[in-house]
Amino acid sequence: MNITKKNIWVILAFLVPGSLIYIYLVLYPIGQSVVLSTFKWDTLASSRFVGLDNYRSVFASQLFWKSMGNSLVFMVSTTLLQVIFGFTLGYMVYLQMRGYRFYKVVFFVPTVLPSVAVGFIWNYIYSPGMGLLKPFMAAIGQAENYIPPLSSPALALIAVIIAQTWNSCGVQVILFNSGFMNMPHEVIESATIDGASGIKMIYHMVIPLSWDIIKMVIILQTVGALRSFDLVYVMTGGGPNHSTELLPLHLFVNSFQNFNIGYGNVIAIIIFVMAMLLTMGMKKIMYKESIY
Amino acid sequence: MRIFNRLSKNKSNEESLEPNPQLEVGNKATKRLIYAFMTICALVILLPLVWLFFSSMKTQADLTVNTWGPPKEWVFSNYAKAWKGSKIDTYMLNSIYVTFLTIIITIVTTTPISFVLARYNFKAKKIIYYTIIAGMMIPIHSAIIPLYMMVGKWEMYNNLSVLGLIYGAFRISISIFILESFMSSIPKELEECAFIDGCSVWKLFMKIIVPLSKDGIVTIAVLSVLACWNELLVSMLMLNKPELKTLPIGLIGFITEFNSEYTQLAAGIMMAIIPSILFYIFAQENIEKGMIAGAVKG
Repeated sequence: MNITKKNIWVILAFLVPGSLIYIYLVLYPIGQSVVLSTFKWDTLASSRFVGLDNYRSVFASQLFWKSMGNSLVFMVSTTLLQVIFGFTLGYMVYLQMRGYRFYKVVFFVPTVLPSVAVGFIWNYIYSPGMGLLKPFMAAIGQAENYIPPLSSPALALIAVIIAQTWNSCGVQVILFNSGFMNMPHEVIESATIDGASGIKMIYHMVIPLSWDIIKMVIILQTVGALRSFDLVYVMTGGGPNHSTELLPLHLFVNSFQNFNIGYGNVIAIIIFVMAMLLTMGMKKIMYKESIY
Repeated sequence: MRIFNRLSKNKSNEESLEPNPQLEVGNKATKRLIYAFMTICALVILLPLVWLFFSSMKTQADLTVNTWGPPKEWVFSNYAKAWKGSKIDTYMLNSIYVTFLTIIITIVTTTPISFVLARYNFKAKKIIYYTIIAGMMIPIHSAIIPLYMMVGKWEMYNNLSVLGLIYGAFRISISIFILESFMSSIPKELEECAFIDGCSVWKLFMKIIVPLSKDGIVTIAVLSVLACWNELLVSMLMLNKPELKTLPIGLIGFITEFNSEYTQLAAGIMMAIIPSILFYIFAQENIEKGMIAGAVKG
């Protein structure tokens, strides 16, 4: 249908309310953070324009680079783990062996839990007092190697990565599974008749045929990892010694605990730019028409 | 994008209990290996939850010596104590209110926009669509400082309705992404008939489009529930009065307060996750559909 003069006002009435909210509460604040990033707050009430000073102090800050590094490690490892587990489990569920529905339902459970609860559960597991990890390591004869992971700068980030994977892998299982379900049956069938099976089948048929979904999962997961805040905040608060401080937490600490608002806004813009660049960049790199 | 048609195809495929005949795993050893792997993964997921449940039913003394096993005697008093010693009921009511408001705002703002974008052609259509969809990539962190200051200027901290409004605003992009494609797949013949019969745009929208998009609307509502029920950062910044806290931030306070009493703490966490699990049980199919629809652009 085309808009005729008669109903143009109706259409506007349909578009305006939602658009206003979106512009005012989503787009405007983003623009505003660009403006705020060029101001410095001497007290909470007074601010002055300082140009690019905040950017200079961010790029000169060691803690910024540390949290950038943490974020990159976190991003790459959660994506890798979740793609591997999501693909494998999604494929196993796709094979529809007896009882597959049960597994499919179970794999998704952690995704719906509040991250505060998940963080607590994992803190509890890792804790030296009553945790599960210590007796588990004792059971496999590694008792003397146990160190409380969350208080060790070398292990804390790994511990959080494991918890994060536990928490959100279910989404990937579902997404991969739906991708496999959409592969054209005839093609799979004829491949089977031609003798493809097992690993060969996955490598030559499944991966190319579901390339779209693989691409999508990797992009979503990477950009999603950039936003991770809840679990780290609950489990470690960024410590010990900033070893688990991811970019969003760095932003939070600087703007709402140290009240360095200009600095925080620079981080906000960096996160925004990274999200955009990653999405577009990866779309380009992984651009390859899937066969169907 | 006809993802919903594809989804319904999946469904029929799943519902026929026969496995994909072409992919039957013939080799018994392989089969066992696959089961073993899936079972280990399922255990890794379920054991911590079972263990949390067990802990919540133990006495403190029992927990210290018996970390793994089921409780020697089952005590329910932890639940009573955690319930009384905290405001979990208030937190839940607050969360329910915010969630409810978010759903309403999301539906009321996005259904009309999706309808116009799906059904009408006009010059600015593409620009509007992509401007809105681009919001899906925007991390809320990039907007949080200005939002915080804005709400401060309105002197609206500690206001659950403002929180709902912000959540609603940040659900707009993904909801339109899902709904627009859903509405595009409704056959156009229906409304042409309606127009010939002299139906107004408003009537067409309310009487034909909205009822036919029911599934899509349910999907965006379900996704909104998951998103704002578990949201931590924004609510933490906007609320600080104890009687106004939502469940996630209430839970943080609860954890700090009961830090030494593990059994009651476990009971409190159990109470906090039960609504999520119940919701998952009831809305499982819709949650899955929504996750897929939100992720895939076909």
